[in-house]
Amino acid sequence: MSRLMEPLSVGGVIGEVVDNFIPSVNLNVTYNSNRQVSNGHELMPAVITAKPRVEIGGEDMRAAYTLVMTDPDAPSPSDAYLREHLHWIVTDIPGTTDASFGRELVSYETPKPVIGIHRYVFVLFKQRARHSVRPPASRDYFNTRSFAEENGLGLPVAAVYFNAQRENACRRR
Amino acid sequence: MACASTSASATWNMSSLRSAIPPIHARSASSVHLSTGPSSSRLKFSSSKLLHSFVGLAPLHPLLSLSSPDSTSFEHCFTVIDNGGRFFAMRHGKRVPKLNRPPDQRRALLRALTTQLLKHGRIKTTRARASAMRKYVDKMVTLAKDGSLHKRRQALGFIYEKEIVHALFAEVEERYGDRNGGYTRIIRTLPRRGDNAPMAYIELV
Repeated sequence: MSRLMEPLSVGGVIGEVVDNFIPSVNLNVTYNSNRQVSNGHELMPAVITAKPRVEIGGEDMRAAYTLVMTDPDAPSPSDAYLREHLHWIVTDIPGTTDASFGRELVSYETPKPVIGIHRYVFVLFKQRARHSVRPPASRDYFNTRSFAEENGLGLPVAAVYFNAQRENACRRR
Repeated sequence: MACASTSASATWNMSSLRSAIPPIHARSASSVHLSTGPSSSRLKFSSSKLLHSFVGLAPLHPLLSLSSPDSTSFEHCFTVIDNGGRFFAMRHGKRVPKLNRPPDQRRALLRALTTQLLKHGRIKTTRARASAMRKYVDKMVTLAKDGSLHKRRQALGFIYEKEIVHALFAEVEERYGDRNGGYTRIIRTLPRRGDNAPMAYIELV
């Protein structure tokens, strides 16, 4: 299982966003029906404008899951004083389905990286009961750990992240 | 009869050779003072009154140039061969990354890359460049940790944008105060499409 966790710890997701966990549920995030999110790969801003299709595993449809998408490098990776910026929360996703079956607590906000290369992290939590997750006050200064504490979500069950820069950023150097 | 030779290597020692050769007379010694570098010695070469055949920019073997009759060719010995007169055709053991560029361009590239990394926090570049610039980024953070005026001016002479230097000096205490070295992290990623160059993200840790 540590082979799945290596990109997350090398990329700094484990440590800055979440704590070390054991992944137990499959998580597939796909933009535009052909661009799948893999850890650390870069996606163009044009691709990530609309919300992705998030398919989750799990044993059965009785379990409810919560998906959180944040940007830990807001507004700039070298000086992230707004860490983290919240982009999307979907709750009450039944197991083995996708995010469209859940309830969108915080609507999807298109990532707009201005300075530098930002990481965008999808974190999946398992809920103890349905309707137990409350939306946070604001999108800025979001903290995934404290959000999980407040809503009784515990450690995550899956995580994936991708990188994005602004459209006309220097890519050849 | 035991010989008192100390060097067992087949390479020649510069100082022992120079002592064996009769000294050069004063006219060429003064021409050595005039030459200030490889480019100026090239210019002097073309403007000198004696017409020499052009022998190239690489340093001639000192013995060969000294044996030729023209005395001003002592200018060719401008390079200080500081490994004791041994020069090899191979690169064995030399750990400076050349990045396929002459030294001035290499320095400019590394200055630009560290400026951009300190500005953006995370950049994507080739693996060779990312591992070559670690040393310079660590050096800049070390200068900032010291914090004195002299170090600030040294950093200003290296980084291209002065706002970045001032911002670095202001925030390095709270950011890297506890960390001893290793202020960057390199994450390898997919190769570049155009030339299949192996790429990497380098970020400030």
